[in-house]
Amino acid sequence: MAKSCNIVDRECILTIHILAVAGRKLVAIIFGAVLLAVVLADPLGAEEKVMYEGDSIYNHIQIKRDGQEVCMLFGRYSDARETCMNMAKPDQSLFEYTAMMFVGFLFHPETRDVALIGLGGGYLPTVFKMHLPAVRLDTIEIDPLVYKLAQQYFSFRPTPMQTITVVDGRQYLKKTSRRYDQIWLDAFNTDYIPVHMTTREFLQLTKSRLKKNGVIVQNGHNTNNLFDAQVATFRAVFARVFIFNGKQSGNSIIVGSDNPLYLPPKFNQQAKSRTKIGTIDLLEEAGKYAADPDIKQAKVLTDDFNPANFLVHQEH
Amino acid sequence: MALVYSTLTGILVLFGAAVMSLEILASNLMSPYFGGSIYIWGSIISSFMIHFSVGYVLGGYLCKRTAKVSPLLLLLIIASIWIMLIPKIHPVTGAFVSERIDDVRYGSLVAMNIIFFVPVTIMAMVSPYIIGLLSLHERVTGLSAGLVLFISTMGSFLGTNITAFYLINLFPVSVIVSGIGVSCLMLALFSLLIGLDKRLACSPPPAPRA
Repeated sequence: MAKSCNIVDRECILTIHILAVAGRKLVAIIFGAVLLAVVLADPLGAEEKVMYEGDSIYNHIQIKRDGQEVCMLFGRYSDARETCMNMAKPDQSLFEYTAMMFVGFLFHPETRDVALIGLGGGYLPTVFKMHLPAVRLDTIEIDPLVYKLAQQYFSFRPTPMQTITVVDGRQYLKKTSRRYDQIWLDAFNTDYIPVHMTTREFLQLTKSRLKKNGVIVQNGHNTNNLFDAQVATFRAVFARVFIFNGKQSGNSIIVGSDNPLYLPPKFNQQAKSRTKIGTIDLLEEAGKYAADPDIKQAKVLTDDFNPANFLVHQEH
Repeated sequence: MALVYSTLTGILVLFGAAVMSLEILASNLMSPYFGGSIYIWGSIISSFMIHFSVGYVLGGYLCKRTAKVSPLLLLLIIASIWIMLIPKIHPVTGAFVSERIDDVRYGSLVAMNIIFFVPVTIMAMVSPYIIGLLSLHERVTGLSAGLVLFISTMGSFLGTNITAFYLINLFPVSVIVSGIGVSCLMLALFSLLIGLDKRLACSPPPAPRA
């Protein structure tokens, strides 16, 4: 309604004056409304919310929720390890490596006893609870805060066939009188490696806790020099070592066994009885077997010589 | 006197470094037998604190009793030889203790004291002993105690960082420990050979300011 205004027209001047004052107020109201809308709509954060953030002696931990997906994140900035679970579909493998670890069941289909070192959010025990109810699972976790948060945010509850022990993994294996068909190692942060669980002596200890035909399944990252040293160490301890490389991630699974019941070339044939564990397709994971893996020359890690924390930062 | 002071500085730096290097390495020695938990670190640090405290008081006492540096040097030779033997002592001790004591807190505390009490206590005697010696020979100012501790703690800083950042990645733990023992032994023998006591006794103390 801007129209030219004769400066001497009192009515016109009054109108302009009212508009100026009211206009400022109007602009302020519109601005406030837009700001409020932006804050409420939260366009950057979407629905992701930090449910918890805190420190234990061992870890800095964050729990984040994004819709139905809850994640436990370890470390800050440079350390990006996380474990996530879809609370509506808890057995869904949100990461490649958690599905890959189940290749252990191809090597040893009649598994009755499993030990798992490293609890995280409890995804792996949840899969066991839902789809492997006859298998005994002992989970070992060093950080009491991880256990507490798994219970609180991931509804982690061990079944009568499962136990959870809060103790150092190597100590547990040293003192236990139990023997296992499979021992799964998933204890490593990308930031800090517990070096006493990467050595030849440790792997010899795990081997001594296996039943006949038992296998060790270790999760690793093939993107740094520590992986090559870990493979070398496995090869120094186990008669047979198998590597499975992730297709979508830098994860690789190392399997060690002195006399496995089945070998990868035979997996397609022998896995008739069970090819799926929940949504995990074992034959698809078996397809990640690397028959001739590209492993660099590396020293075997021992209790006496173990530069694991140095090697983990040397990217390929 | 330049030789005396450089040798004393060398002793302060090397034994300051040795003590902290051993503390860093202690976790590698302990964790195969007792795990890698916070308990182990508690045991390592608190054990060294015990050894330091006993060493401090013994160092002061021995200096007062003998008024000479050679008793300290003889003890440092014993400490160096003990350190050279640690690679043999620690696996036996670790295995023996961890099998008999179930609680890793007490187990690691016992093992730490068996392995480290003698050498670390002796090495902790160095700073108070040298401060005491300087005061006996009237070469002390208000700054002296601070300077001695500064030098030895800088040595500790070097020992800590060089070990944690470099040595552990380059050499086996047993080699590093033996290397520490050998270096300490050589410096202690050298100090004994140059006759520090005579040199300190012969040259008069600085004249007091008018």
